[in-house]
Parts: sequence; structure tokens; C-alpha cells
Amino acid sequence: MIQVLAFYLFAALTIASATLVIMARNPVHSVLWLIVAFFNAAGLMVLVGAEFIAMLLVIVYVGAVAVLFLFVVMMLDIDFAELRAGFVKNFPLGMLIAVVLAAELVLGIGAYRAGSLELGTPDGSAAPLLGKSNIESIGALLYTKYLFLFESAGIILLVAMIGAIVLTHRERKGTRPQIISKQVRRRPEDATVNVKPEVGQGVQL
Amino acid sequence: MTSYFQSLGLTYEWSWFIATIAGILLIALPLMLAVAMIIYVDRKIWAAMALRKGPNVVGPFGLLQSFADGLKVFLQETIIPSASNKGLFLIAPIITFTVALMAWAVIPFNSGAVLADINVGLLYILAVSSLGVYGVVISGWASNSKYPFFSAMRAAAQMISYEVSIGFILICVVLWSGTFNLNGIVEAQQGHGLGIVNGYFFNLLLFPMWVMFLISSLAETARAPFDLTEAESELVAGYQTEYSSMAFALFWLGEYANVLLMCTLNAVLFFGGWLPPLDIPVLYLIPGWLWLFAKIFFFFFVFSWVKATVPRYRYDQLMRLGWKIFLPMSLLFVVLVSGWLMVTRYGA
Amino acid sequence: MDFAASLKLIAPELLMSVSGLVLLLVSAWVGDKASRAISVAAAVVLGACFFLVAPAVCSGASGPDTLAFGGQFSADAFAGLAKLMIFAAGGAALVIAPAFFERFNAMRAEYPVLILFAVLGMSIMVSARDLITLYIGLELNSLAAYVLAAFLRTDDRSAEAGLKYFVLGALASGILLFGMSLTYGFTGTTSFEGIRVALNGEMAMGALFGLIFMLAGLAFKISAVPFHMWTPDVYEGAPTPVTAFFASAPKVAALALTMRVTLEAFGAQDDAWRQIVIFAAIASIVIGALGAIGQSNLKRLLAYSSINNVGFILIGLAAGTPAGASAMLVYLAIYVAMTVGGFVAVLMLKDENGNSVEAIADIAGLSRTRPALAFCLMLVMFSLAGIPPLFGFWGKFVVFQAAVNAGFVALAAIGIAASVIGAFYYIKVVKVMYFDEPADVVKGESDWAHWALLAISALAISPLGYLLTPWLGNLADKAAAVLFLGV
Repeated sequence: MIQVLAFYLFAALTIASATLVIMARNPVHSVLWLIVAFFNAAGLMVLVGAEFIAMLLVIVYVGAVAVLFLFVVMMLDIDFAELRAGFVKNFPLGMLIAVVLAAELVLGIGAYRAGSLELGTPDGSAAPLLGKSNIESIGALLYTKYLFLFESAGIILLVAMIGAIVLTHRERKGTRPQIISKQVRRRPEDATVNVKPEVGQGVQL
Repeated sequence: MTSYFQSLGLTYEWSWFIATIAGILLIALPLMLAVAMIIYVDRKIWAAMALRKGPNVVGPFGLLQSFADGLKVFLQETIIPSASNKGLFLIAPIITFTVALMAWAVIPFNSGAVLADINVGLLYILAVSSLGVYGVVISGWASNSKYPFFSAMRAAAQMISYEVSIGFILICVVLWSGTFNLNGIVEAQQGHGLGIVNGYFFNLLLFPMWVMFLISSLAETARAPFDLTEAESELVAGYQTEYSSMAFALFWLGEYANVLLMCTLNAVLFFGGWLPPLDIPVLYLIPGWLWLFAKIFFFFFVFSWVKATVPRYRYDQLMRLGWKIFLPMSLLFVVLVSGWLMVTRYGA
Repeated sequence: MDFAASLKLIAPELLMSVSGLVLLLVSAWVGDKASRAISVAAAVVLGACFFLVAPAVCSGASGPDTLAFGGQFSADAFAGLAKLMIFAAGGAALVIAPAFFERFNAMRAEYPVLILFAVLGMSIMVSARDLITLYIGLELNSLAAYVLAAFLRTDDRSAEAGLKYFVLGALASGILLFGMSLTYGFTGTTSFEGIRVALNGEMAMGALFGLIFMLAGLAFKISAVPFHMWTPDVYEGAPTPVTAFFASAPKVAALALTMRVTLEAFGAQDDAWRQIVIFAAIASIVIGALGAIGQSNLKRLLAYSSINNVGFILIGLAAGTPAGASAMLVYLAIYVAMTVGGFVAVLMLKDENGNSVEAIADIAGLSRTRPALAFCLMLVMFSLAGIPPLFGFWGKFVVFQAAVNAGFVALAAIGIAASVIGAFYYIKVVKVMYFDEPADVVKGESDWAHWALLAISALAISPLGYLLTPWLGNLADKAAAVLFLGV
């Protein structure tokens, strides 16, 4: 009973907030609705027993990706009048795509009604381990069967990082970075002098 | 607790529901009281270190100072800037406050005394603490004012930076205890050091991790010396600049609840949580929650001590510490810890 | 699972990733001063990998002994032959780059490292026997390629090429991933072997959609019509050494991958994908030929030429027979030599300030000012057109032969007719070089490495190349046989 209620709550909120992502006029509101959608999707994950994925969804997408997204969107200067002008111009194309999508939906539902879809059955190689939490099951698969792919995925991330650095990093000339060891090495004698000037005389530094 | 309500003749669903609500109240209400007192303690410690007296007028020894402050903000008028984004402006403090309370659901106060005993407890804490930044970012943006906005940008960058190394530090703890469940982590620390000390701090590989965790938790809660989000000499009061009355109070409460949470995490992850410091039967006569509270109070004292004595970091220094020192160090220790465990515990 | 045996099978990939990491560290510490040394080291690594792979190709390795990590990765003769071509093309991209980038003062030590990782991704791609391996390899290659396209970051066209490639490539990856998830859903497995078994008999509608989406994603990577629109822009904007790389190695990898997906995973369902492949082949040939006619930029011309050539290669796939697959491999080997030769020749066209000359009008009368260069360019153009004494003809011949033997006479006839249209613009370039008044723009001197590479590829596509045919055909037959073991 609680599960059913929770499912419909999360599902309805996911769909509603996903709709609001594209309906909201302010891009910052869109991002915030996106976060709500992520959150409810994580709730759905918990319901199907994938608590590890749910937590990762929140930590990675809500906690890091969406924050950076918000960071960028907040600094955008968007002219809403211009956006609406584009809207009128692209309206016929948008309508066309909408009609095509609606037709596809109708067709898809029709095809679904006509005969049940035959889904394949898993070959059992990725079945969860009995009596283990799903973190342990994922770990047991990731570090044995999928070790090669897991390590290769690491190289993909490395390449993405190299790419970001290659395309954006610039050596700037004339900067004066802080060198902590140099600061610590400096003694009072190097920096201060004790002078006793005569009255009416300046200090020669 | 669910079974208690069931014995009163309620159905399982209803008794679960009532038990959960009761559990939440049982944690949240004392927490609010603790926050009020801890603000007083903070000010007293700070004052003592500056050779001042601190609050001493309201109530005996000034003990009721926080309640007087609370009453004052409660009676103030709520001012909403006319150019602000009103909905978000009001939601932001609520987010900060709610998120600060949410994480307490998985904290064990005694053996098994935890509201939600889930097996991804530590991940849950990471997830919830990563939400905390939204309150700050949204308030900074919705205020439509430049200093709060700067503050929001700083907060976003700062919290994301330090969450990375916190994640790696937590991985070391999880590797050693073999579980994400906080209760399990506490139990794994029993007799960890020489068979007598309860706590991971007594471990050459985890002690540096604890030092880094303590510093990162200062940065994560934006406490001094990393309080750049509300650096008053640069940003007025940061993201709180435009806030007044209860909205301001909610930020204040949420912030201190977060500080307490970080103190609790220090105690639970490295200092044996509700276990006594030494694994001696006599010490177990004192209830576990008292040990935990004592440890939390100790860490809070350390936080105040740092606030009173360490000057504020510059922003580039903060980033340098996070990315160039903590991140490589914590990565190195993940390798060391897993290598050590591979050799000693799991065999070649 | 035996890890030691698996690690032995992925030795070339291990060597590439470890040396890539080491060279990355060197580049981080020593900086751009070391970029030439790192390029040489990376080329040596690719050469070593070449010799690590060669035995498997010569012996025609196949069967369970070549499967690593529980069948996710296969080091068989087919993958080996594709890898040999990829390593050769990658090595060429390393050799020609320093002289080009140093002119713009933009040679960075990360270039060889990125090429090495891109080659690693491609070699994972061609060895994929599992949808996840396929995707990982593809993404590793693509991510490195996006960065390489935008490598000349001070040049607006290069940045534009990188951005276009990235946006469209990400879309194509999404489509491919969608197709893969549908396929997984309807077959219950990600391994090619399992998909083949699950799809024996009637094919579910959803699996068909999965196949179509996967083919669409792959068509983008091989730049087959109708997913070719990015090719001219990216090839024109990207730095020329990178374009030479894009036109050769990733084409081989993506085509080999397409062969694996269609012939291995969906081998039991060849009726489902044949129409799609036939359409893509004819459309690519026709649009590649017609699109090239109006071009005035040599790099754009070569981009349309590569679209055109992909069409011819797909004719071999449409045949769906071992002979067709073998013909594709032969064509690919010749295509790599022609493309590398063509782009190296373009790279050597420089004015007196050392800036690149890319307009066709500017190479008018090249035969009188630079006879050797003009002669090599002529060889490449005639070979691309498939004019008989040159080796390019042989590739087209074996592909058409396979198609006719499999009963696709009409397809072969359309292909031959279109190749006559295509010959028009290749011959136009030759006419401009040999019979027009000299424009006298090309004056710059070239690096010896460029000359050497151009000489090698010119030799390979000259009639002397026919000496290789028995040997190449034998290797290709053995490699293609691997794909049909399950039948």
C-alpha cells in the first residue's frame, strides 16, 4: 500500500517537474525543477531496491552536475523578448515535429495494444548475488566480469580531462603566484630594518 | 518503536507511520534545543579566548541569550526586497534548514538507536550534505543583489571542491569497516587500536585522513577560517545580507545544525561514536549516547577554538588547499589503505 | 576466468594505455618542449603494437582462444587486420603533425597522447564482442577526436569544427546508446554471441528498432548518407594532420565495428539490415559524387570523396558474404593508403609564408612548378577515381565482384555508373594541375617526413601495389572468415 502510494507520488512528481523544466520561463527555475525531477527519480530507484543507484543519482547529478549547471545558468544574460521572437519564427516547424511525435505515440500505443511485446530474458550472467546488498553485488561484478570495461571507462574520463585542459588552459605571463615555502623561509631580518633617524632628517630606505 | 505501537492494536502501516513521526520529533526537537545552547557555548568560548565575558545578561550566566535572540527575530518584520525573486527568496532558508535536519536520520545515537538503519547510510549523508549548497546558491541568486550573488558563487565552488576530498576520505573509512552503515562503522571500531582503543583515529593510515576530514568539515560548513561565503569585510554578510526575521533565523539554525552534524560525523567515523574511548567493560556502564554527546561537544569546542584563533583564508588559498593538497593526498591514502587491507586482510 | 590469458590477449591495448599514461606524465612535467620526442615515442609504441598484433593476423586466429574477459573482447584475425590499418594510419598522423603545428606555434605535447588514446579506443572498438565494449571503445575514440578537431584553438574554423563534431557526435552516441538499450531489452544480453542466439527465428519489432538506431549511430561515425552532413565542415575546419587521421583510422574502426554488429550480432537477421545498408551505400555514392562537384576547397573535396568511398565499401557489406567482407577489408586497406597520401599531399601545399593552400584554383599549373608533388597528387586522384592501372581500381573491382556473386547485379551496376560521375571531379583536379596556367602560389618547402610518407603511399597505390594482392587477399579472407564462424 505504502509502496504503491510512494510510487505514484514519485512518478507524478517526476513527470510534473520534468514538464515544468521545459515550461518554466526562467532558465534558473528550469534547472531547479530539473533538480526536483532528479530527486524524485532517485525516489523511484529506492522503490525498486536500487538504493545505491539512487544515492549516486543524488550525489552526482543533484550534488555536483546540477550545481555547476545552476552556476552557469545564473550567470547567463538571457533576453526573453528575443527568445519569444524566435518562438514565433520556429512555430510551424515546432508544430510539425509535435504532430509527428503525436502520430508516433498513437502508432506506438496501437502497436502495443495489437500484440504484447516480447522482451528477452536476461541470460543470468548479471544476476544479483543472493543475500548481498546491491553495493556488494555491483562491486562483485564491476571488479571481476567487467574489470576491463571499468578500467577503460577510467581512461575515457582521463581523456575528457586532458581535452578540457588542452582546450582551455593558457599560460599567463606576468602573474605572481603565491610560493608558500618562500614566504615561510623569509625571516624578520630580511624584511625589516631598525633605524633611528635624526630629528628633521628623512629615512633612507 | 513500530512494534510498540502495533502492540497497542494499530495496523502495521499506521504504527510505522506514527513511530516514524515520533522518531523525527525525538531527534529534531532536542536538536533545536541543542543548537540554541551551542550558539551560546560558541559565543562564550569565543569571548573567553578574546578575554571578554560574552553573553551574561539574560538568565543565569546568560544561558537564555539564544532564546532572547530567537524571540527578537520572531517578532521582527519580514522584509522581502522588491526586486527579489519572491518564491525562491522564501524557499532558500527552508531548504537550508530542512536539509540540515534530514541528515540526522541515519546517525546512530546508541547501539541500534537510529531512525533509518539503511545500508547506504554514509552515501545518504554525502547526498544530503551535497544538497546544502542549494539553500545558499538560491538565496544568493534570488536576493538580486551583488554581494549575496558573489557569496552564492563562492559557496557553490567551495562546497563542490571539498566534497570531492571528503568522498575519498570516507572511502578509506568504508574500506576499513567494510560497510556503509554508520552503526556498522561504529561497531567495527571497537577495540581497533591495540585491542583497547575504540576509534579509527588510532591508526597510522587513518589518522591523517581524520585531520583532513576535520579541516574539510570546517570548509564544508563554511566555518572560520573558510567562512568566505559570508566574509563580512568583503561581502557584507554574504548570502544572508537581504534576509531578516525568521528567514534569517532559519539560516542560522540550519548552519549550526550542520556544524553539529559534522562534529557528530567526526565522532562517529573516527572516534568510535557511542562507544567509550577505551574498550574497558567498566566504561560501558555509562550509556552510549552520553559518550557520543561528550565527543560531539569536544569537536564543537575544537570548531570554536579554530574560529577564535585562525585568520580567514584567501579564496585562492582555499581552492589550492582543496584541489592541490587534499585531493592528491586523499587519493594517495585510498591507494595506501586499500593496498594495506589487500595484503593484511584479504590476502594476495 | 583466466586473467593471465586475458591480459596476454590485450597486450597491445595494455602497452598503449600504459605508455599513454607515462607520456602524459612526461608532457605534464617537461611541457611542450618535449612534444617532438613524445611524438616519436608514441610512434614507436604504435610500431611495437603493430608487431604484437601481426602474428594473430598471419595465422588467422579465431575461436575461443582469442576471447578475453569472458568474451567481451576478441583478439582475432579480423580485429588484428583492422588494427594493423589503424596503427599505420595513427602512426602517419603522428609523423606529419609536428611540422604542421610548429608553423602555428601550436604543437603541444598532448597531441601524441590524444592520438594514442584515440587509437586505443579504436582498437577496443574493432575487438568488441559486447555492446558495452563497443560503446566504451567508441566513446574513448570520439572524445579524443572532438578535442583533436579543435586542437588549433586560436583558429576559428578549428574551434567550429570541434564544436560541430562534438554536438553531432554526442547526438549520434545517444542514438546508438538508445538502439543498444532496445537491443538489450529485447534479447536480454549484451554479448554479440548472445544476441545472435536470441534473435534466431522471428525478430521482435523492438529489436528491429534497436538495430535501426544502432545502424544510424554507426552511420554517423562512418559518415554514410544520410548522416554525413558534418563531414565536409569538420574535415575542412580541423587541422590537416587531424583531418588525415579522421579520414583514415576512425573510418576503418567504425566500418569494422559495423561489420561486427551486422555480421556477428545480427548475422542471423541479414534481411533486416540489408535494405538499410543498400540504401546507405547507394545514397553515399551518389551524394558523395554529386556533392564534390561544386567544391572549390581540396579538403572539402576529399571529405565528399570519403563519403563516396564509404558507399563503395558498404556495397561489400550489402553482399553479406565472406567474399564481401573480405573485399571490404581489401578496399579499406587501399583506401587508407589513398587517403593518407591525399592529405599528406594537401599538407605539403604551402605558399611562400608557409600558410596552407587549400583552394583548387591555387594549385593550377602545379605540374610545371612542382612536378613531383603534382604527380603524386595525380596518382592519388586517379586511384580514388578507380582508374584501372592504379591500385584504387582493385578495391572497387573486388567489392563489385562480391556483390555480383551474391546476386546484387543492379546494386553493382548503380555503383559502377556513379563511379563514372565521381571520376569527373577527380579528373577536374588533375586537369587544373596539368593544363591550366600556373597560379604560382605553392612555393613552400616541405618536411622530409612528409615526402617520405607521400612516397610510400604513392608507391602503394601505384600499379606496383598489385604485387600485394595475393598476400592482402589471403589475409583479408582469413580475417573475414572469423565473422562467419557462427553461421
